[in-house]
Amino acid sequence: MNGLILRLTLQRVALALVSLLVVSALVFAITAVLPGDAAQAQLGQEATPETLKALRQQMGLDVPAPVRYWRWLSGLLKGQPGESIVTHTPVADMLGSRLPNSLLLAAITIVVAVPLALVLGIAAAMYRGSVFDRVVSSGAVAVVSVPEFLVATLAVLVFAVELHWLPALSYGVSFDSPLKMLRSFAMPVMTLCCVMVAQMMRMTRAAVIDQLKAPYIEMVLLKGATPMRMVLAHALPNAVGPIANAVAMTLSYLLGGVIIVETIFNYPGVASLMVDGVTQRDMPLVQTCAMLFCAAYLALVTIADIISIVANPRLRYR
Amino acid sequence: MNDSTLTLPPKPPKPRPVRPAVNAVALLSGAVLLFWLIAALIGPSLMSQGGASMGEDAVFAPISAAHWFGTDFLGRDVLARVVQGTRYTVGVALTATLLASGSGTLLALLAAASGRWLDAVLSRAVDTLTSVPGKMFALIMVAAFGSRLPTLILTAAIIYLPGAYRIARSLAVNIDAMDYVTVARTRGEGRLYIMLHEILPNIIGPMLADLGLRFVYVVLLLASLSFLGLGVQPPAADWGSLVRENIGALPLGSAAIIMPALAIASLTIAVNLLIDNLPGSARGGH
Amino acid sequence: MNESKRLHHLVGPQDSTRLLEAVKRGASRRDVLAMLMAGGMQATLAGGLSSLAFAAHAATPKRGGRIRVAGATAAITDTLDPAKMSNQTDYSRGTMLYNGLTSLDGSLTPQPALAESFDTKDAKTWVFKLRKDVKFHDGKALTPADVVFSIMRHKDPATASKAKALADQIDTVKASGANEVTVTLSAANADLPVILGTFHFMIVKDGTADFSTGIGTGPYKLKEFKPGVRSIAVRNDAYWKPGKPYLDEIEFVGIGDEGARVNALLSGDLDLVASVNPRSVDRIKGTPGFAVFSTQSGQYSDLIMRKDAGPGTNPDFILAMKHLIDREQMRKSVALGHAVLGNDQPIDPTNRFYFAGLPQRAFDLDKAKFHLKKSGIGDAAVPVVASPAALYSVEMALVMQQAAQKIGLNLDVKRMPADGYWANHWLNSQVGFGNVNPRPSADTLLTLFFKSDAAWNESRFKSEKFDQLLVSSRAETDLAKRKQQYADMQTMIHEQAGIGIPLFLASLDGHSTKLNGLSPIPLGGLMGYSFGEHVWLEG
Repeated sequence: MNGLILRLTLQRVALALVSLLVVSALVFAITAVLPGDAAQAQLGQEATPETLKALRQQMGLDVPAPVRYWRWLSGLLKGQPGESIVTHTPVADMLGSRLPNSLLLAAITIVVAVPLALVLGIAAAMYRGSVFDRVVSSGAVAVVSVPEFLVATLAVLVFAVELHWLPALSYGVSFDSPLKMLRSFAMPVMTLCCVMVAQMMRMTRAAVIDQLKAPYIEMVLLKGATPMRMVLAHALPNAVGPIANAVAMTLSYLLGGVIIVETIFNYPGVASLMVDGVTQRDMPLVQTCAMLFCAAYLALVTIADIISIVANPRLRYR
Repeated sequence: MNDSTLTLPPKPPKPRPVRPAVNAVALLSGAVLLFWLIAALIGPSLMSQGGASMGEDAVFAPISAAHWFGTDFLGRDVLARVVQGTRYTVGVALTATLLASGSGTLLALLAAASGRWLDAVLSRAVDTLTSVPGKMFALIMVAAFGSRLPTLILTAAIIYLPGAYRIARSLAVNIDAMDYVTVARTRGEGRLYIMLHEILPNIIGPMLADLGLRFVYVVLLLASLSFLGLGVQPPAADWGSLVRENIGALPLGSAAIIMPALAIASLTIAVNLLIDNLPGSARGGH
Repeated sequence: MNESKRLHHLVGPQDSTRLLEAVKRGASRRDVLAMLMAGGMQATLAGGLSSLAFAAHAATPKRGGRIRVAGATAAITDTLDPAKMSNQTDYSRGTMLYNGLTSLDGSLTPQPALAESFDTKDAKTWVFKLRKDVKFHDGKALTPADVVFSIMRHKDPATASKAKALADQIDTVKASGANEVTVTLSAANADLPVILGTFHFMIVKDGTADFSTGIGTGPYKLKEFKPGVRSIAVRNDAYWKPGKPYLDEIEFVGIGDEGARVNALLSGDLDLVASVNPRSVDRIKGTPGFAVFSTQSGQYSDLIMRKDAGPGTNPDFILAMKHLIDREQMRKSVALGHAVLGNDQPIDPTNRFYFAGLPQRAFDLDKAKFHLKKSGIGDAAVPVVASPAALYSVEMALVMQQAAQKIGLNLDVKRMPADGYWANHWLNSQVGFGNVNPRPSADTLLTLFFKSDAAWNESRFKSEKFDQLLVSSRAETDLAKRKQQYADMQTMIHEQAGIGIPLFLASLDGHSTKLNGLSPIPLGGLMGYSFGEHVWLEG
């Protein structure tokens, strides 16, 4: 079985690399359509034809697009994602200063959101139809229905402005005071959980319920297993596939989709870096960020696939 | 005692306690949904033109006889703004969600029912699409192609298609591995038959649940886009944009921001509750 | 400072010092009253003097303290290079770290800064005598070579300076003595000292190529700088202005979302925030411990109607639109009162050349209808392009759209995202909006935006007479004559250009009441961005 898993993993990894390549070309193609370029973005209202020309030359924009793409790609393969054409600092450095922040926020959110979603989902599935189930399901939908920026702003108003319990801004990784750092994460994480827990919980619930409909479950019950054992030991392993998929997709959201949280809490993460890059038309930065998100997503999804396959032997022969 | 070792289709669920075919919750949710649909269709023509104009009224005025929902950040009547926004929220979001879920499910069915190669290619293609985070993709698309409605609908559909695809596929693949499907294949049934008659009925339940949630996400995506300045452009506004425009009213607890937010919540909760409470047969069991 | 003078006057130097010392050491009102009445003074007089003593104490700057300030933008393009600075975050950091040859005060009059004096006979050749014993943060002394480098680099296209258009009128800058610099212009311009007091012309060390160290002569030294995140600056103890600056440290961040900025202020995370929306003013004022600081400036968002293309080719259309601008309504519902009415010409009341005699154009639906009919546009849709990049332009466009409906004109408001607006829409749209930041020199403003061949002549307004007046007013040294010339130019723009200027906008900043020393400088909010030097923390 190990050899099979290994082979499947390698296959998936190879395909993932192909995906990465396609994504890089796709991102490049779309951003090439963006009106205006970095020189115009920087000079803005004060642009004159001569300063535009000089700046374009400094930024290397006078070279045709495919050439720039190739240079960037070959640099990336060597491990050097190039230099930002706007700040002339290495893209790797810019990302490196922001990535720990994003990862930390993602990690804390995962630790809070995933167990919560799984527990709620499984419990709702076990007691489906009951008041608990209805309350949790409707509650999840209600919470998700509130726009993210509304949740965040409301939280800041209540906890920071009125109660002064938590700080309104978040500065990212800071080692002088871990307690202060954790306090400053409370609201961003809460906001993100509101967005993510519902999806994961609903899919978990649906997947477990699906399994509970199957005939073998009746068999298990007739065997005399307790409902808890029936769910945890029999239904759950078969539901792992769809659950893992739902969790993976939700998690991949955490790197790039947190732009609103980063804006409201002024959190220096990778998402706002990429938005900045798009506004400034800083191509190397935008492409490298896109690569990063893509790679993270593909890694998560590959892991989810492997978990599915391990959990459901029948899928190994697809 | 039932015979589960032979190749019989799964038994229908055990009979539940007698319950009316369509319960109260479903009726209520359906009513809310219908209300908003009607509002979307004929609402704007019912409101007088002067309804959403900037008058002599104060900014963020409270609920009064003249303004049932108060006034917004420019002094306009909030009720009129919400009714006018219904078209955008319901129309754009619904269209995009149906597109996303529909095509995602179809592609997933195709992938599940076909051989490994097609499955791999489709999955890779869809994964490639998902790799760029949704909001980033929307940012780039709107920056490149403007924020006209068709662009927004298409962008939202593209962003949410892979999610529907992935979930549908993982469900479909599980079903496909089941014995009765193998039997159907052995019988000589074609791919299309298997897709539509064997797999689809069994995944419709969870997919509808997913559609409900997906709809919420599209409505919120539109709101997020307007937060970033990219969504439906003023003077037009969908509900999410209304929330965004009037965010300054939040500390005042003014109706200007509460009403659009409630509108969003009422619509999304109604859609999801309705799906959850549809008569059993339509959902393949609950 | 008036209070301490009055106190001094009333009770004499010895006693006033004693009182102030007591208050500084923490005496309460009762203690001070006791002190005063110990000598047999009447209670009411003692009460009045006590209040005066406290007020005087409050107005006395105190050294020490650390503040956190938020501007409205943070981007990876944040820079410490004066030539590339473009927004309030950059300008604020610039004034903390650098100085210019002159600095502009509350009436936008140039005051000596790094230049002790500046003279000219013909407004063409200027001699600037540099202050002695000024040192950069790294210890190097200020020399004429630094000034020459700092100014001349703007002329080089490779610098890609934002001030190139302004620097082009400077022919040469030469060291003409141990502490003297001579600037020769290509044509006379009486406003040169004003121009040299603006942000781009701040003085850096000769030969600087890497600006990330922020070495300047300014009141603060750079401690940390992360573009797009924050900067930290600490007091320059060797600053050439004695006693200043007062604060120990300033941390400056950029928070793009206005709601987040205001919330951070009100929750105590920040001490000063810039660019507050008028709708947040009541909330800030209503929270104890916080106040709003308003700076009325010459900033405006203008309606542009190109005279060379589109409906603007018909002068009646332009007149119709100008009469359609409901300035009072805009002032009330868009700016919530934080603006001054504009009169379709760009010189605002804070400028010394403002022509008050120009009759205010009123919101007149009848006249608008009349001109519209004459123009023959009918009810064809006229696209009007607006964007949040031009402050309030979208809201103004909506107000105009509503007014236009009343006379049968169909204005189709097209809102473009801020991203790329200047490059793609601003000068290209036939009818649209632009935004002009405060420019201290009327001449600069008119030259950049209304001269016939100016790159940024938004409405393509071409008038030989205007150009002539512009050139002659630059060289005019007689103030009364100059004022008349500017008055004529304002009238010409008001009547002939395709520009509608509804309002001059005020900048609003929110701050904790512990922060003192803010006074408006109409270059922009945050005291024309030079707050760092002037503010202090109370208690």
